[in-house]
Amino acid sequence: MNTKKLKASAIGKHAVLIALCFLAVFPLYWMINTSFKPAGEVFSASLWPKTWTLDNYRDAWNAIPMARMIGNSLLVAIAQTFTQLITSILAAYAFTRWNFRGSGIIYGLIGLTWLVPFQVIMIPNYVVISNMGWKDTLTGLIVPNIASAFAVIQLYNAFKAFPKTLIEAAHLDGASDWSVLWRTIVPNLKAPIASIGILQFITAWNDYFWPLLVTNKLENSTMQKGLQMFMSSEANLWGPLMAATTIACLPVLIIYLLLQRQIIDSFVKGGLR
Amino acid sequence: MNYDTATSAMPKPKATTRPQAKQRKAFSARMRGVKPYLYLLPVVLSLGFWVYRPLLQTFQLSFYQWNLLPTTPKTYVGWQNFKNLLTLPEMGKALTNTLIYTIGVIPFSLILPLFIAVFTDSIGGRARNVYRALIFVPMIMAPVAVSSVWRWIMHPTNGILNQTLGWLGLDEPIRFFTDERWAIYSITFITGWKLIGFSTLIFSAALTGVNKEYYEAAKIDRANRWQIFRHITLPLLSPSILFMGMLSILFASEWSFSYVNVLTQGGPLGSTTNIYYLLWQYGFQTFAVGWSSAAAVVLFIGFGLIALGFMNLSKRLSFFDD
Repeated sequence: MNTKKLKASAIGKHAVLIALCFLAVFPLYWMINTSFKPAGEVFSASLWPKTWTLDNYRDAWNAIPMARMIGNSLLVAIAQTFTQLITSILAAYAFTRWNFRGSGIIYGLIGLTWLVPFQVIMIPNYVVISNMGWKDTLTGLIVPNIASAFAVIQLYNAFKAFPKTLIEAAHLDGASDWSVLWRTIVPNLKAPIASIGILQFITAWNDYFWPLLVTNKLENSTMQKGLQMFMSSEANLWGPLMAATTIACLPVLIIYLLLQRQIIDSFVKGGLR
Repeated sequence: MNYDTATSAMPKPKATTRPQAKQRKAFSARMRGVKPYLYLLPVVLSLGFWVYRPLLQTFQLSFYQWNLLPTTPKTYVGWQNFKNLLTLPEMGKALTNTLIYTIGVIPFSLILPLFIAVFTDSIGGRARNVYRALIFVPMIMAPVAVSSVWRWIMHPTNGILNQTLGWLGLDEPIRFFTDERWAIYSITFITGWKLIGFSTLIFSAALTGVNKEYYEAAKIDRANRWQIFRHITLPLLSPSILFMGMLSILFASEWSFSYVNVLTQGGPLGSTTNIYYLLWQYGFQTFAVGWSSAAAVVLFIGFGLIALGFMNLSKRLSFFDD
């Protein structure tokens, strides 16, 4: 009696989770499925392409300057990730290494920037970018994002857990503060730093508002904006559109396939303490 | 991303300098004093320039009339922009819709994830990891890509969703994005779809941290399932619930912004616009910088008050497992 009840409840649990997984993954599956269907088959509801084709990818590739935009997106995302990591490592080190006047207030002010919605500050930032002549440039996309409050807070938590005795030991060996940071702490915290970097890369790759404002020409823009342009200009070419969408998701999906556990953990940790 | 750490780090002890050899003290002590600030400089300068400066400028611009062109001067109009906000017809619609988005996302960000997390708590092992990996997928997908895929799935005539509904006996296909009765709920659904897995994982993670002895004790006391949930699980999860609640209430409309912009542009008949989209339209379509800034100021202050309320609430309500 009891085992039967237990089994039924386990089945129920799996059913709920499978339903949730289906809901989460179906759009992705449908996107990839459609992207490989030939034009005549796109409107059919078949769960698998009867004949596989790469035509959609070729059409999408030729319709917009795809290679340029992927290159731009990669460059912007990598540059942002790299600069955000460096600035945040320096800041997290300052907060954990020394007690100094105003550290609490500065930390609070950094944390609070997270509360400021993009739309509230977009106009003044747009004005600065256009005054500097950075409209339609990658510089204009990268420079406003060289620091991230999220990365500072996450790295601060990682640095806080680093054993003080190791720092003291390095200090006794005559190491300067600078080399303690780069020779002792950073090599030992590679894993958390890398997972924060991956999150920042995904965020940067997926960003859409700022490129929407700062860039005009597709050649100077990122993949996300290109996708949106493609969507509004080629309203009913569903096959090529799904192919373009797949390409726009590809780097993040590949990273996710390789590192999903770390990605989930660091996202969830970012939401907890 | 974490207000707990942000606030708990506030009270820090004052700066202390260690006693050192006398002649070197002056210089090296001063160096020691400056050093932390040098390490902080890049982040502080960058966030100061790209977040706090524009924030102040938005406050300033809210008292001016300007059309974003560098050649036209800004004219000071005092509180006029704020008065106009009250009379603009789109404003009421935008605020109502903001409320609909905010409330509509809560089932996806709080209620369903909480129940799913509690219900499936005992699932373990490899299956759990597979579920986690799949459930999380929407969170990493780009908003534009998400819009593109859902537009295809929810297409009135050729989309798989309407085809399925047709087989199930629905006569008329639903125009999810062009029917003003449906559009806002379609956008709310997509916003929620992106969040539900993330939120479930947050609650699951919080649940695994709960000491199972509480449940044993409650069972011995013959508490029923609901009582256990109400008096043990809920209080123990309150920090995560408040955190997700704050996140959801503050950002639901902001998250829906990209779907609105890509899928409906606020239409049909203004039925999907919200306060963020209005800011965007005033700023970059009608070039009414003053209006946009005034609305931004009001929004920001409202935002701050809600966040403050939540922080107070979490201080008072949180029940820590010590």
